[in-house]
Amino acid sequence: MITRRLIVASAPLVVLAPSLALAAPAPAFTARDIDGKTRSLAEFKGKTVVLEWVNEGCPYVKKHYSGNMQGLQQAATADGVVWLSVASSAPGKQGYFADGAQAKTWMTAKGAKPTTLLLDPEGVVATAYKAKTTPHMYVIDPAGQLVYQGAIDDKPSSKPEDIATAKNYVAAALSDLKAGRKVAVPASQPYGCAVKYKDA
Amino acid sequence: MLLRRLFAAVLAPLALLAAALPAGAEVVKTGHIEVELVSQEAAAVPGSTVFVALRQKIQPHWHTYWRNPGDAGDATKIVWTLPAGWTAGDIVWPTPERVRVGPLQDYAYSGEVLLPVPITVPASAKPGQTVTLQAAAAFLVCEEICVPEDAVVTLSLPVVAGPAKPDPKWGETVGKVLAAAPKPAGLKATWKKDGETLKLSVTGAALKDADFAEAYFFPYSGKAIDHAAPQAIERGPEGLTLSLTAGFDFGPEATEAPTELSGVLALKGGSYEITATPGERPAGSVGLGSLPAAGAGSTGGSQASGGAAADASGVGGLPVALLFAFLGGLILNLMPCVFPVLSMKAASLAAHAHDAGKTRAQGLAFLFGVVATFLALAGLLIAVRAGGEAVGWGFQLQSPAVVAVLSLLMLLVALNLSGVFEVGAAVQGAAGGVSAGSGLAGAFLTGALAVIVAAPCTAPFMAGALGFALTQPPAFALLVFLALAIGFAAPFVILAFAPGLLKKLPRPGAWMDVLKHALAFPMYGAAAWLVWVFSQQAGGVALALLLAAAVLVAFAAWAYGLGEARRFAGKAPLVAFGFALAGLAGGVALTVGALKAPVPAAGPQAAEVAGPGLAAEPWSPERVAALQAEGKVVMVDFTADWCVTCKVNEKTALAGPRLADAFKAQNAVLLKADWTKRDATIAAALAEHGRAGVPLYLVYPKGAGAPVILPQLLTEGLVIEAVEKAAKG
Repeated sequence: MITRRLIVASAPLVVLAPSLALAAPAPAFTARDIDGKTRSLAEFKGKTVVLEWVNEGCPYVKKHYSGNMQGLQQAATADGVVWLSVASSAPGKQGYFADGAQAKTWMTAKGAKPTTLLLDPEGVVATAYKAKTTPHMYVIDPAGQLVYQGAIDDKPSSKPEDIATAKNYVAAALSDLKAGRKVAVPASQPYGCAVKYKDA
Repeated sequence: MLLRRLFAAVLAPLALLAAALPAGAEVVKTGHIEVELVSQEAAAVPGSTVFVALRQKIQPHWHTYWRNPGDAGDATKIVWTLPAGWTAGDIVWPTPERVRVGPLQDYAYSGEVLLPVPITVPASAKPGQTVTLQAAAAFLVCEEICVPEDAVVTLSLPVVAGPAKPDPKWGETVGKVLAAAPKPAGLKATWKKDGETLKLSVTGAALKDADFAEAYFFPYSGKAIDHAAPQAIERGPEGLTLSLTAGFDFGPEATEAPTELSGVLALKGGSYEITATPGERPAGSVGLGSLPAAGAGSTGGSQASGGAAADASGVGGLPVALLFAFLGGLILNLMPCVFPVLSMKAASLAAHAHDAGKTRAQGLAFLFGVVATFLALAGLLIAVRAGGEAVGWGFQLQSPAVVAVLSLLMLLVALNLSGVFEVGAAVQGAAGGVSAGSGLAGAFLTGALAVIVAAPCTAPFMAGALGFALTQPPAFALLVFLALAIGFAAPFVILAFAPGLLKKLPRPGAWMDVLKHALAFPMYGAAAWLVWVFSQQAGGVALALLLAAAVLVAFAAWAYGLGEARRFAGKAPLVAFGFALAGLAGGVALTVGALKAPVPAAGPQAAEVAGPGLAAEPWSPERVAALQAEGKVVMVDFTADWCVTCKVNEKTALAGPRLADAFKAQNAVLLKADWTKRDATIAAALAEHGRAGVPLYLVYPKGAGAPVILPQLLTEGLVIEAVEKAAKG
């Protein structure tokens, strides 16, 4: 029975395989960006990452691209935050970008300033994050923990005039992170158009 | 007279009509909706409340939203402009419909909906006056796309001293809407959290003998539950218990513990407003069995996604999953994955075939080994997944450390079967061997080893059952794994308990040694395979170190055997044991070194030649979409080097020139998703098709559309047929 001792010895190794997470690590993903480069969450380890689900045709996205979203992107990236817009509309659906060039055209027209935009027409990243609406916002801290998910602000409406009086959850989460505080509001109900997943 | 009669007959209703019409209620068309204000009563009485409803006539297939729109959407909002002293209350929301949009669950209205609002008429209102109520309504209306629309609608309402008559046109309709709207009914409701599950129990007189089929809870908060998760229904004599999936409010992210869970319990016979407080479930809310969860809502394209269907006609519910798991476990014995390990068991059975008691004990020990290991692995898997890691079945072989240790273990088992060394040699004489050892522990460990090494491959039936299991609460999932384990162990256990069968084996004798030595070779094969898997994971330098470790371990085994033989012969075995120990220590050191060896960076993956002429490109979801868009049929091979079944399929069904020709002719492309190492994207894709492990074969039609799932055991003909079918569209 020589195997007995050996198997017993190897048992802890079996348990070793994947580490058990205590908090909620942000799901890993890889996706192609507008320049055709494959990007992954792993490459941004050590940095704060914002994920923003986008659908250029959605009135709620349009509302925030009246200046609010671009401003947030600019302020965040200037602070060293990685801002990834994600387009998960399936081919043939509203907000689908056939290629990076099409996405860039829209970004240029809007003056959008994310770090880059990820093309996710199969909805893989969206599925991993259970993205529900456009916009749907996520903030991941430098350790890879999901620290905020939900709406961009607390005024669910499609009217740009509501932005002025709304409390912006993403800005708040980013400043909490920057100050080394616990994120005060870690989750909210996202609002907007449904993510245009491909038909199952 | 006649004239007077005629006059009365014609004019009286006309006069009535004129008096009853609350005048100007114009309809506003906003694009996808016709909106107007309608009143339950034809006039307002000072000091009373009149219900005025915003009526939306929605274009077919479009929706507006409930107070909690669900996963997406936006509730209708009304801002009132009323005469001084008049006030408007909250909308009385009718029970919404459940609308499924892909993986999302919305709560919405379609067709015609009335949203009544109580308007308080001040006592100071002057009879004879006519007031104008104005509502600025903003609503989101969605079909595939969403359009926010606005309307300002008005209603003129005369003030009368008293008692007001129902509005002739809308009175009855508004009344019906109000009557059907959810109301509190003195129901007692409690909630209790059980892991991710939120048990909502409701009891009360109104629920006695109620029909609970299709029962559903609509939460007021958008963060209370996972809207898209099915709500399992348990019936009781005085109520029911729904198993909800906790949302943010009840999750670890919640900043403060929620105190109540409020919303609408919708039954076939009516809807009730409930506010649940934390507490034990009241008696009477369970005990009469369960009902299928209410189906995914009406329109909005696809039905509930993620059903573990497709594989063997779909897995519906726990009993079916258990049956499939048992069958899957049985069939697993026939999968190429398991053959090498089973030779150990065969050797053991042959050795004891004529000692019924021992054989039975061993059969049971084997069963316990299989069950314990399955449950341990499953428990670990569930725990890790609960931690948010994207892992699937077979994850243990994705760790190079585990693979390295297992390969050395296999080598030792093989050497033992070859007779290089015996363990506790003296005791058993010729029959002593790894799994032939007298110890029950041996049989137990054989079972454990079989599961760790061989079970990562999924078999028909098993795939669907596993996919289902991992979407269920842990207790259900473990039951499914238990069924799987029992199925897997069944053939050997039955054999062990069937003396008739065992008697057919020849009496023990010299042939057993020959058999044992022969059975060593599948074990060498298993060791070689694991070493190869390791080399794929850890690279060339590590491979060299592991092979050196293997040599040292073999040396140690031989030295140990020598020592045992000396001791048996009454000589001092110390020197030999010393060599054995040294060899083993060296082996361990080299293995550790191998694990620390630098892993070569995965360069740009060159297209891999799977056979003559047919090259497999690396898989990515984007690549699938792109190729489909180019008008190509796409086949995806989800595989892993540690999955022998996958490798057998690749060699027998995906490598031939006939297949390459067929792919060329049908303009098809083969993509390969390699899960040898952990990969969240692949795990997500497997989960999307209701699977927890490999192999999985998908054939996508050209253009767009969902893939067809092929069986786990492929033949070339079957693949060609599937590809041709996909090409035809």
